[in-house]
Amino acid sequence: MNTKHTVAVTVNGKKYTREVVGHRTLLRFLREDLGLTGTKEGCGAGECGACTVILNGKTVNSCLVLAPEADGATIETVEGEAKNGKLSNLQEAFHRNHGVQCGFCTPGMLMSVKALLKEHPKPTVDQIKEAIEGNFCRCTGYQQIIESVLDATGQLKPKTEEMRRV
Amino acid sequence: MFENIPHEELKVVGKGIERIDTVEKLTGAALYTGDWVVPGMLHAKVKRSPHAKARIKRIDTSKAEKLPGVHAVLTGKELDYRVGLYLVDKHILAKDVVRHFGEAVAAVAAETPAIAQQAVDLIQVDYEVMEPVLEPKSAAKKGAPLVHPDLGTYEYVKEVFTPIPGTNIANHTKLRKGDVEKGFKEADVIVEREYTNPNVQHVPMETHVAIGQWLLGDRISIITSAQSPFTVRNLFAHSFKIPHCNIRVYIPSVGGGFGGKAGIHLEPLCCVLSRQAGGRPVKIQATREEEFSLLPCRSGLVYHIKTGVKKNGKIVAQQMTMYWDAGAYADYAVNVTRASGYSAAGPYEIPNAWVDAYTVYTNKPFGTAYRGFGHVEFSWGLERHMDLCARTLGMDPLKFRLANTLKPGSVTLTGEVITEHTGNVGRCLEEVAKAIGYGKLTPAEKAREKKTGMKIGKAVVALHKAPAMPPFTGTVVILKMNEDGTVTANLSLTEIGAGTYTSIVQIIAEALGFPVEKVRLPIENDTDRDPYDWQTVASKGLLLSGNAAILAAHDLLGKAYEVAAQVLRANPCDLDHDDEKVFLRHHPAKCVTFKAMAVGYAYPDGNAIGGPLVGVGRYVAQGLSNLDKETGQGNPALDWTYGAHGLVVEAHPRTGEYNIIKVASAFDVGKVINVKSVRGQIIGGMLQGLGTAMCEGYRYAPDGRLLNPNFTDNKIPTSLDLPEEIDCIAVETPQIDGPFGARGVGEHSMIAIGAALGNALQNAVGADLTHLPIRQEDVWRALPKGGKGPEGKIP
Amino acid sequence: MLHEFSYLAPRERKDLLQLLKKHSGQARLLAGGTDLLCDIRLGTDKPAYLIDVKHIPEMQGITWSERDGLAIGATVTCIEIMRHPVIAKKFPLLAHAAGHIGSAQLRNRATIGGNLCTASPCADLGCSSLALGARVELASVRGTRVIPMKEFFTGVKATQLKDDEVVQRVLYPAEAAGAAWGMEKLKRIKGHDLAVVSVAIARTATWLRVGIGSCAPTPVVTADLPPQATAAAVVAAAFKVVNPIDDVRASRDFRLFMVEEFIRKLLPALA
Repeated sequence: MNTKHTVAVTVNGKKYTREVVGHRTLLRFLREDLGLTGTKEGCGAGECGACTVILNGKTVNSCLVLAPEADGATIETVEGEAKNGKLSNLQEAFHRNHGVQCGFCTPGMLMSVKALLKEHPKPTVDQIKEAIEGNFCRCTGYQQIIESVLDATGQLKPKTEEMRRV
Repeated sequence: MFENIPHEELKVVGKGIERIDTVEKLTGAALYTGDWVVPGMLHAKVKRSPHAKARIKRIDTSKAEKLPGVHAVLTGKELDYRVGLYLVDKHILAKDVVRHFGEAVAAVAAETPAIAQQAVDLIQVDYEVMEPVLEPKSAAKKGAPLVHPDLGTYEYVKEVFTPIPGTNIANHTKLRKGDVEKGFKEADVIVEREYTNPNVQHVPMETHVAIGQWLLGDRISIITSAQSPFTVRNLFAHSFKIPHCNIRVYIPSVGGGFGGKAGIHLEPLCCVLSRQAGGRPVKIQATREEEFSLLPCRSGLVYHIKTGVKKNGKIVAQQMTMYWDAGAYADYAVNVTRASGYSAAGPYEIPNAWVDAYTVYTNKPFGTAYRGFGHVEFSWGLERHMDLCARTLGMDPLKFRLANTLKPGSVTLTGEVITEHTGNVGRCLEEVAKAIGYGKLTPAEKAREKKTGMKIGKAVVALHKAPAMPPFTGTVVILKMNEDGTVTANLSLTEIGAGTYTSIVQIIAEALGFPVEKVRLPIENDTDRDPYDWQTVASKGLLLSGNAAILAAHDLLGKAYEVAAQVLRANPCDLDHDDEKVFLRHHPAKCVTFKAMAVGYAYPDGNAIGGPLVGVGRYVAQGLSNLDKETGQGNPALDWTYGAHGLVVEAHPRTGEYNIIKVASAFDVGKVINVKSVRGQIIGGMLQGLGTAMCEGYRYAPDGRLLNPNFTDNKIPTSLDLPEEIDCIAVETPQIDGPFGARGVGEHSMIAIGAALGNALQNAVGADLTHLPIRQEDVWRALPKGGKGPEGKIP
Repeated sequence: MLHEFSYLAPRERKDLLQLLKKHSGQARLLAGGTDLLCDIRLGTDKPAYLIDVKHIPEMQGITWSERDGLAIGATVTCIEIMRHPVIAKKFPLLAHAAGHIGSAQLRNRATIGGNLCTASPCADLGCSSLALGARVELASVRGTRVIPMKEFFTGVKATQLKDDEVVQRVLYPAEAAGAAWGMEKLKRIKGHDLAVVSVAIARTATWLRVGIGSCAPTPVVTADLPPQATAAAVVAAAFKVVNPIDDVRASRDFRLFMVEEFIRKLLPALA
C-alpha cells in the first residue's frame, strides 16, 4: 500500500529528488516535501485555482496531480518568479496596480498569467479574462488584476481619472 | 482629525501608493496560518453530523482511540464549555443534540491528517433523527419546535439584546419613531410586499485554520486565520475562565475574511484537543466543504415592508418586519438584527417608522457577520421596494428616491440629526445616474438591442451603512521611533486584504511629515506585542485607527519637540520639523536630528535626556449610546457612508438570459486616503455583491441537508463574470471627525447591488423578482406571462 | 490525498491489461484525475490501486484517415483536442466541446477517456461525440471490442466498461467529418461551470443528430433525422430521448425549455 516512488523534478530551475507515497498530491509535495509554501490550497477539488503551478509548460491544479505523475517534470511556481532579488516585470505590475489584496489567490494567479504571456505576449482583455477564469479571487473583483497584466505588457492606457473624485 | 486639508497640500494621503504587503504576497513569502508548522504539531479532523436535527444517542470512539498515531479524541460529553459572542449558546462540540447539518460531534488529533481522518471514520454515532425547523417565519411562531429549549438560561448582553425564552427568537430589536398608524392614514397609497434572501457563504480563498497549544498552567498559544485577535482572546478567556494574560493570539497573513473570521471559531477546539494531547500543538484546517457548514455563513432574511406614500412621492410611514434566519446559533446574527433594524429604511427619511426585527433560530448552519452586516440582505428588499413604490405612484424611481433621501436636518430612524458633514447620498445617486445615462437608451444601446434581440434596462439604487459596534469601541496605535529615526507602528487591526494597513501608514506618514518608507507597520498581529483593538470589522478601522494613528504621531512629535526644545534651548512653539530633524523655524540651521533623539538624546559628555521616543494615540468613538430597547432611539452611528449604484443590463425577453453591461458606483468616502485601495474596495465588493445577486446561496433538501456545500454547485463570480464596463466615483464630503476627513468604505460596495440588478431586469424585460439569487431560470420564471413566458412553452 | 492507495504506472499495454485483470474491482484508472481524484478526496471512491494509463502508447495520439476516420487516444487531453489541426478542420464540434470544459487548468489535464468514463450526464464530450456517431474501443486481456457510444453509457456515472477493461480509443466515422455543427451549453455563471443543459447538433448530407447533456441519466442522442428536418421535428425527436430531473442546478421545466430554445437557435445557424 505505501510503496514509495522516487520523484525527481526540476522546480524553478532547481533539481529535487524525493521518495514519496503514491497518494501524495503535487501540491502537498511542493509545500511539505520541498518547503515551497507559496502555492496554496483553496478547495482541493480543482475549482478555485489557488494551487495553480506550471507543469511542463502548462498550468495545472496541483491539488489534482499526484506527485509520482510529475516524475521527471519541469515545474514553475510563484517562488521562481522574482530573480536576483528583484521582482519580475509581472510582479512589479501587480504591485503597482493593486492586483493583490489578501494575496491568497496571487501565487496561482501569477502562474496562470505567466503561462498566458508565454503564448500571447500582448493579450487582449478577453484573453486575460479567459486565462484567469480558473483562478478565483474573492477580493479584487479581478479588474485590478487585469489592469496589472495590461500594464506588464505595456498596454495599460494612462487614465487620469480611473476613479473620479468629485 | 479632523482638519480639512485641500488635496494639493497633502503629500501622501490621497495618493495611490503601492500596498505595503504585496511584495511578500507576490513572491510566495507571505506566511498564512496554513503555512505554519510548529514543532510537535498534531493535525485535527472532525466528525460532522449528516442530520439537521437529531438526538445523539451514543458515540463510540473506542476504535478511533486505539488507532496508532491518535493522541486525542473528544466528544461533546467531555467539554462543558459554551461559547458565544453576544448570547452564549454554543458548545465546542455538539452535546446531546445536533442542531444543524455539518455540526461537529467529535474530533480527533493525530500525527498526520490522514490518521486523524481514519480515526474520525472509525467513530460511530447513533442518532435519533428529529424533524428540523427550517423556515424562519414559522419557526418564530409560538409553539414551533424549539432549537434551544434552554434559551432562558443562557447568558447574554442584557443592555442590547432581548431573547424571548420559550420561543426560537434569540433577539427582538424594536424601533419606534413617530406615529405609524397616523402616517398610514395620511398616505395616499400603501405598498406592501415581502422579499427573501438565502444563506450565503463568505468564501474567503483561505479556509479557516488555527493552531492551538494548551500548556500546563493554562498557558494558551493560538496561531489563527482570525480577523480579530483580541476578540478571540477575550471570548476564549470567558469560555474557559482563564486570565487574559495567559492567552496569546498570533495572526499572520490572512487570506480574506469578509466577516466570516470575525468571531471565534476553530480556536477553542484545537486548544482543547491540545490539552487532551498533553500540550502538543494541534492544527485544524477546514476543508472547503467544511467552510460551508461546520463554519458559519450569512443569515437568510425574510423582509416584509409596508410603506405609506403621498402622491407627491414623500414617504410618510413605513412598517418593517425582519425575520433573520440565524440558523442553529446566535453568533453575530443577533447583532446583525440590531444593526439592520436601525438601518432598515436605507438612506431615506421616514417620519413615522416601526421596525420589528427578529433573530430566529432554525436547524441550519448558523449565520455570522458578512461584509455589509445585514445591509446587503435588507437592501435587496428595500431597494426593490423603493422601485415598487415609485412604479405604484407612476413616478420615476430616481426622482422618488431623491425626494426621500436623508439631507442635512433629516432625522434618522433612531433620532440622529443628519448634518452637512454626514455625507451626500443625493450626490451619489446623481453621479451614478449620469454615469449610466439613466432614464434613456443611447443610439448605441438601441442598436445593440436590435442586433441581439435583448432588451436593455437601467436602474439606480442608494445605500448607507454605519459601523455596527459597541458605542464605547476604542483603539490604540503605538509609534516607536527606531535608532535611525524611522518608526515602527503597532496596532491590532488585521490586514485581511482590504488595504487598511497601507492607508494607516499613509496617515502616519502624513501626520509625521515623513515619507512612507520611514514608517513600518508589521502585517502580523500578536496580542502579547500589540495594543488593544476590538475587532477588524464594520468598516470602522480606517476612522478609529486612523485617528489613533494621528494622535500617536502628534504624541511622538510632541515628545521629540520636548527634547529638541531643551537641546536647542528653544520654546517648543518656535520649532518645526522635516523628516530628518527638528529645527528652529527662524534659524533652520539650529537643529537636532530625530536619529539623535530616537533612543534618548546624549550630550557630548554622555549626559542624556528624553529616553526612547514612543507615541501613543488612543481613540474612542464619541457620543454614541446604546439604543432604547423599546423605541430603538439613541445614537449608534460612528459615521454613515452613503453610496449608490447604477446598473445597465441586457436581458432576453424569452429565455431570461442576461448580461451586465455596466455598473457605476459612487460612495461618499469623506476623503480618499489611497485612491487605488478605494477603487479596489469598490470593485471587489461590487463583484462579491453581484455573486450574491447572480449565483450564490445555500440550497437545502427538505430534511435540512445542505445540497451545495462546494464550488461545483455554489458558484462564485469569475473573471468572466465581470460587468463589461465599470465606473468608480468617490464623492468627498469630509467627515468632521474622520482622519483627514475619511470614512470607511470596506463593506458598502457590496450593498444594494443585487437590487440594482433586480430593478434593471424589471426595467428591461418586466421580470418582477423578490428572491435572491437571480439565476437565468429565475428571470425566465418571472417574465410577464402570456405569450413569451414559460407557461405557454412547456410541452 | 487522505485516502491511501498504491500508484501504478505501466509503460506497456499488455502490462496495463494484466494489472487490470489482477486488481479487478480494486483498481481505478487514472488519466487526467480531474474527476477521480475529487471523488477519492471526498471519500466517495476508495480504490486500493490507481493505474496511471498516460504512458500507454496505444492510448495516446490522434490519427485520421479517409478510410478509418478519426481516432482519439483515451488519454488525449482537452487542450490537445482543441488545438489539433485535423480536428479543427474536420470535427470542429469536438474542438468546441473540449474548449468549453472547465478552466484552462482542467483542460490541460482532463482527457477524453476520463470525460467519457466518468459518464456524467453533463459530459460535454459525451453529447458532442454522440451527435457525431462516435464509437468506443475497449480493450482487456480478453481482447478488443468496439461499441457505439450510445450503448457505452448505461446510467448515471455507469458504463458498459467491465472491471478488467479500459477505453483505448474513441473513434469517429469518416462520414461525419466536415459535418455542419452547433453547440450551446447553459451554465450558471459565465465562468467555468458544468453544463446545466447542453445541446450539440451535427448534420451531414445524409443525417442530422442532436446530442443532449444533463437532461437524462446519461448524455443522449436523437435518432438519425433527415438533414432537412424541421425545427419542430428535431425538437420532437429530442423530447423523445430526454427526461430531465429537478435538481439543485435547474428544474425539469427549464431544462426542457432550454433544449427546445437551443435547438431552435442552433438549427438555422449550423456552420
